[in-house]
Formats: sequence, C-alpha cells, structure tokens
Amino acid sequence: MLTPAVYRFLLRFYPAAYQDCFSKEMAALFQEVQIEAAKRGLAAQIRFQVRETTGLLLGALQEHLREFSMRRFAMRTEFRFPKSTAVLMTIILAGVVLAIDKGKAIQASLPAVNPNIGPIQPAQHTFLPVVALVFLFFYAAGLVGWAILFALRRSGTHRLAELASDQN
Amino acid sequence: MASFPLTEPVLLILLSLAKQPRHGYSILKDIEQMSDGRVVLSTGTLYGALRRLLDENWIERLEEKNSTRGRQAYRLTSRGRKNLQFEVSRLKHLTRLATLRAVTKEV
Repeated sequence: MLTPAVYRFLLRFYPAAYQDCFSKEMAALFQEVQIEAAKRGLAAQIRFQVRETTGLLLGALQEHLREFSMRRFAMRTEFRFPKSTAVLMTIILAGVVLAIDKGKAIQASLPAVNPNIGPIQPAQHTFLPVVALVFLFFYAAGLVGWAILFALRRSGTHRLAELASDQN
Repeated sequence: MASFPLTEPVLLILLSLAKQPRHGYSILKDIEQMSDGRVVLSTGTLYGALRRLLDENWIERLEEKNSTRGRQAYRLTSRGRKNLQFEVSRLKHLTRLATLRAVTKEV
C-alpha cells in the first residue's frame, strides 16, 4: 500500500538534485491525488496505487539514467589542479636530478678496471640528461598552464558560462 | 530532452500551460479533462516531464511569494510557446494529409 510516508520514502530513490527540486511538491501532490482517489471507490484506488508506484519507480530509474549519461558526457566547467600535484612533481624532479648527480659521482669514483683502456671519458650526451630536460620542459609548461588557469579561475571567468546559460 | 514529435503527455502538459500558469494538481486535472479521462498521469511521470521541460527552457517556475502546501506554479516560456505552435501546425498538416488520403477512393 502506497501511503504518503511510503511515497516519501520511495522518493529517496531519485537522484539528490531531483529530490531537492521536486520531492516536496511531489509529496504534496500525491497526498491531494490520493484523497481524491479514495473518494472514487476501490477500483479507482487500486488503479491509482499501481499507476503511482510504477510511475515513481520508472521515473527514478529514468532520472538516474539521465544523470549518468549527463555526467558521462558533460565537460567539466571548472579546473581542478590539486596543490599536492605541484609539490609531488617538484619532489620527483629533485629525486631525478639527485639520482643523476649520484650516478655521475659513482662513475667518477670508480677506478679503471683495465689500465690498458685508460680512464673512462665522460659521455657528452647520455640518456638521463635528455630525459631530465624533457621532464623539466613539460614541468615548466605545466606550471605556466596551471598559473594561467589559476589566474582565470581567480578572475571568475568560468562563471560567465553559467551566467549565460541562466539568462537563456 | 523534449524532441519532436512530442509525446502525448508532454503535448498535453504544454497545452495545459498554454492558457495560464498552473501547479501540479491543476495540470493533472486539466490533462484528465482534455483527454476525457483517457490520459491520467502519475506524479512521477508528470514531474519527470516537467523537469525535462524546465531543463530545455520550455517552461519556467513561477516565483510565488505565498506558495502554500509545497505547490509551485509553472508557465510556458516564449520558447515553449513557439515549440508548441510548431507541433500544433505539424499535427494540423498531418491531420489534413490523413483526411485527404483517407477519403480518396481507390480507382
């Protein structure tokens, strides 16, 4: 039996945003329609119960599917770049640079195993400096990009889109 | 998303709001009356359709200072009215065509 209390409980199956917007209205309307259906006899009441239960549950399912599809395809309007990412990137860069330095120091301290070969000549171009350079470049580019987006966010530009859609 | 051709409940909701702003109960009753009791919407179906129409900016909520008992009135926007007129003329054309074809005798 779909009573107003059960109806209000079933409204919880709807997405939160939908509940905020319509649940109060829907519950009030249900009560009005229920009172009217009760006056029309048993058959009308059964039809009302079946119609409301299926309508409510199917509606909840549709709203969830709709919300799911919107969340999946909607573009993020706000830019989120956690501050911890910048710190982590700095730590990683420092670790890489330190590892390269340590590697060079170990290389320099090693005695020549075969005296006939002579001292090991330092390599002009190694793989690691190139990787470090590439990393440094992308790090700098990322920082510049982040700074631009951070400045834009501070200026409130992202709110213009919401404002424009509100006015339509 | 409300798209053409409109479903019967959506069309009836728009027709119900065409004359005057209405709240949920009034829309339900008007639809029942318009369809001679053939279409009776559940509250879930009604508010699902209202939500889609609100999202598409075909209808809007009427700001009421004294909205008692959780009632909220809705009205057509200019966009909704334009789309309703478009749908009505589409149906008119279809009815004309159907009448012409139906009365044409086979030779």
